[in-house]
Amino acid sequence: MAKKIAIAGKGGTGKTTVAGTLARLVARRGREVWAIDADSNPNLAVTLGLDESKLAELLPLPRTLLEETQDDEGKKKLELRVPPREVAERFGVVGPDGVRLLLMGRVDHAGAG
Amino acid sequence: MCRAHAAVRHLVRGMLQEEEVFAIVDMEAGLEHLSRGTGRHVDVLVVMMEPYYRALETARRTVELGRELGVPRVAVVSNKVRDELDRRTVADFAANHGLEVLCEIPFDDELRRCDHRRLAPLDTNASAIGSMEKLVDRLL
Repeated sequence: MAKKIAIAGKGGTGKTTVAGTLARLVARRGREVWAIDADSNPNLAVTLGLDESKLAELLPLPRTLLEETQDDEGKKKLELRVPPREVAERFGVVGPDGVRLLLMGRVDHAGAG
Repeated sequence: MCRAHAAVRHLVRGMLQEEEVFAIVDMEAGLEHLSRGTGRHVDVLVVMMEPYYRALETARRTVELGRELGVPRVAVVSNKVRDELDRRTVADFAANHGLEVLCEIPFDDELRRCDHRRLAPLDTNASAIGSMEKLVDRLL
């Protein structure tokens, strides 16, 4: 039922317009939606229709959320140290139609100030 | 740069493990944030396409890469379609290269105005919204 969609495309192809609009249209059909901005030039907030005051509350996910773990074969990997929902509630903001925006930007700790 | 890309990739993969939500990831222009690991956590990769040759080729390569990364369904959205020639160009290219076209979005000047005025298309009367409803139907 739940789905994970990634949207790719060069700048100017309408990628962010479609991502933001799609997120809200799916939310209007009653689903819980997370919109994840992983572009280094983040603009998803605009096409989602978030206002300035909401945007000020948005914090980019810090790298410190990741911790190194080992899988069964002893391979190292980086994983979230807290459950994704907790991360979403702490760092994301909720905009029109209830879509929660999460920012994966490169800014590390700057957002905390 | 690479370290930053890697961190974002791991963060995205971590967030995609929340099962109960519908998640939409606005990716970097390339597929830097998709690795084999992340590809397995994505159900559909949607690649934006425009009706001119270089854009078609770029989209085709992105589709191939998405398939290599193990994304179960990789498909395209044909955007900024102005006329029958655009429509045919995209349809022929998609057929020749085995690309699934999820929907076609007509060129809409209102979307361009949204961009200039930093408005959400859904908060305006952009006619292209109708096509995006079709996209939702195809994805849900």
